[in-house]
Amino acid sequence: MDASIIVDFLFKGLEMSCPIAFAALGGVFSEKSGVINIALEGFLIVTAFCVVWGATAFHTIWMGLVFALIAGVVMSLIHAVATITFRVNQIVSGVAINILAVGVSRFLSERVFGQETQTAINPFLFPTVMGISSFAFALIPITGIAWFVLYKTVFGLRLRTVGENPEAADTLGIKVYVMRFAGVMLSGLMVGFAGATLFPTKWVNGMTGGRGFIALACMIFGRWHPIGAVLAALLFGYADTFRIMFETQIPIPSQFVMMIPYVLAVVVLAGMVGRARPPASDGIPYEPGE
Amino acid sequence: MRKIKIDKYHLYELFSPLLGVVAAIIVLLLIGIAVGESPGSILKAIHRFTMSTSGRLATVFSVAIPLFLSGLAVSIAFQAGVFNIGVEGQYFIGGLVGALAGIYLPLPRVIHIPVVVICAMLGGALWAAIPAALKIGKGVHEVITTIMFNNIALALVNYLVNGPLSGRGEESLEAQTFHIRDTAVFGKLNHWFRALGWNIPNHVFMDYSLIIAIIMGILVWILLFRLRYGFEIRAVGTSIDVSEYAGIRVKRIQLAAFLLSGALAGLIGLQEIFAIRGFYTYEIAPGLGFDGIAIALIGRNSPLGVVFASILFAFLRQAGYGLQLYTSVPLAITFVISGVMILFIVVINEVVTRYIRAQRKKEAA
Repeated sequence: MDASIIVDFLFKGLEMSCPIAFAALGGVFSEKSGVINIALEGFLIVTAFCVVWGATAFHTIWMGLVFALIAGVVMSLIHAVATITFRVNQIVSGVAINILAVGVSRFLSERVFGQETQTAINPFLFPTVMGISSFAFALIPITGIAWFVLYKTVFGLRLRTVGENPEAADTLGIKVYVMRFAGVMLSGLMVGFAGATLFPTKWVNGMTGGRGFIALACMIFGRWHPIGAVLAALLFGYADTFRIMFETQIPIPSQFVMMIPYVLAVVVLAGMVGRARPPASDGIPYEPGE
Repeated sequence: MRKIKIDKYHLYELFSPLLGVVAAIIVLLLIGIAVGESPGSILKAIHRFTMSTSGRLATVFSVAIPLFLSGLAVSIAFQAGVFNIGVEGQYFIGGLVGALAGIYLPLPRVIHIPVVVICAMLGGALWAAIPAALKIGKGVHEVITTIMFNNIALALVNYLVNGPLSGRGEESLEAQTFHIRDTAVFGKLNHWFRALGWNIPNHVFMDYSLIIAIIMGILVWILLFRLRYGFEIRAVGTSIDVSEYAGIRVKRIQLAAFLLSGALAGLIGLQEIFAIRGFYTYEIAPGLGFDGIAIALIGRNSPLGVVFASILFAFLRQAGYGLQLYTSVPLAITFVISGVMILFIVVINEVVTRYIRAQRKKEAA
């Protein structure tokens, strides 16, 4: 095997990891603030569509990115209003949004492109560097920023406090609802980036392939830490890239290779127990005392 | 005689899901108007495809059968505080195990169908076993493991049907197994209904899976509301701490409910495999497991509630096809409305619960 294949693998892997990694960062923001977000998959379905929509409508991928970010935030607002304002069970809200997202993206696709299950091909892409979308490299600074925001700013400290102990935060004068809204909306924003890196050439129904759920596993894997979550996402992304690039050379049936990341996730989660601890108030709606 | 007191708050609670449904219908009509269809033409299209003939109406009930089983499977886990998102994978595996029994076991008809049903249940329970064991033994959250197991099941079934179990003949390009033996094929019950005066046309599948669904519904109801074991399941679902304090073995109960949920999930695909297609393919109606979550939620996890919710979902699904056929509203609307409906139902439910609590407090004061 010559060096060019290895270099190719390294870059392709980064590109493949991006959607999962950004979505996992989204999961971190939401859950650090105390809101479980299994709607990441739904967010991703809609943002992936909106990238293509924005790009083809305005003839530039940057408008695609703007559309995706807005779509991510709008979707996250639904989750935020349901779970924070109305204190609905967070998993239930996530399930509903995942169903809703399938409908919304297919509905919009039918309206805009005349077909429910796929859009037209979008020729307006990010410039390529080393054979991959240049936007993939944004993962590195954005991960850094996410870490900085969460661990080095007052905002981050407040966000994490609200996820650990909302009562104490409230006593200290932190507005629990505001911080949780911010956490969930940041998760929508992150999934907007994820959508922009998920093959923006064309949207096809079902193209997310459960990446939002994988991102959830990565977040747990990475112990709710932004850098850990991104590293876990890279593991999945590279495993997938390996499968796609070397499928024909692997002597076992492709379906088994396809299973590897999922089996890996289960095995690692099983082995991680006791060492991974979610934010203490993750999943518990906050009810101010009277 | 025990005096039954119906207070108005109970009525509020009972009717709050209906409000959600009404809200969802309003959203549907608004979207319809936005697309350029009048509310009248939308309602007419829905009526035409779901209720205009006895065949159409019967189809709604036929479609409701697997949805009911799916909702039942999810709800029994919910009752014990277990979130089984893995129903999807469990019915793929359960259906496959059942199909194998139907294809390869030479048995007389009387035993063959019960054997097939039991095998499907075992298969579903088997696929639930690992996530269940990981939850009970190591505390790994079942939401993640069952999602992973859904994907693993899909890949596994894809491999098996394309590879070792392939029965692809010349007549089919689709990957599939060999045909089910005649002795295991689910017959139709349409003539029973005809004898009762409901003329169900032959193309509608009112098959043995209806009997299975009814039996399972009754058994689950008895278990949950008439047996001690069921009481313990519900106690665990209400409060793990209190249950532990009361001496209930929480882990054992949750394990049992998880496996039971998987076993019921194994039955979901039977109608499609044994009545409609007569063979197994990995394309048997995907997404039923996720519908089950919504159905269990709307039906408030009770078997009777799940009956209504599954008929509602079947109606919605058929209505979606009707809209696609007779109006310019796309099929995707079914998903939009399902999602919106669940959100409305849970939000309205929260609001009503809060209102009742506030009113009670006022009364007490």
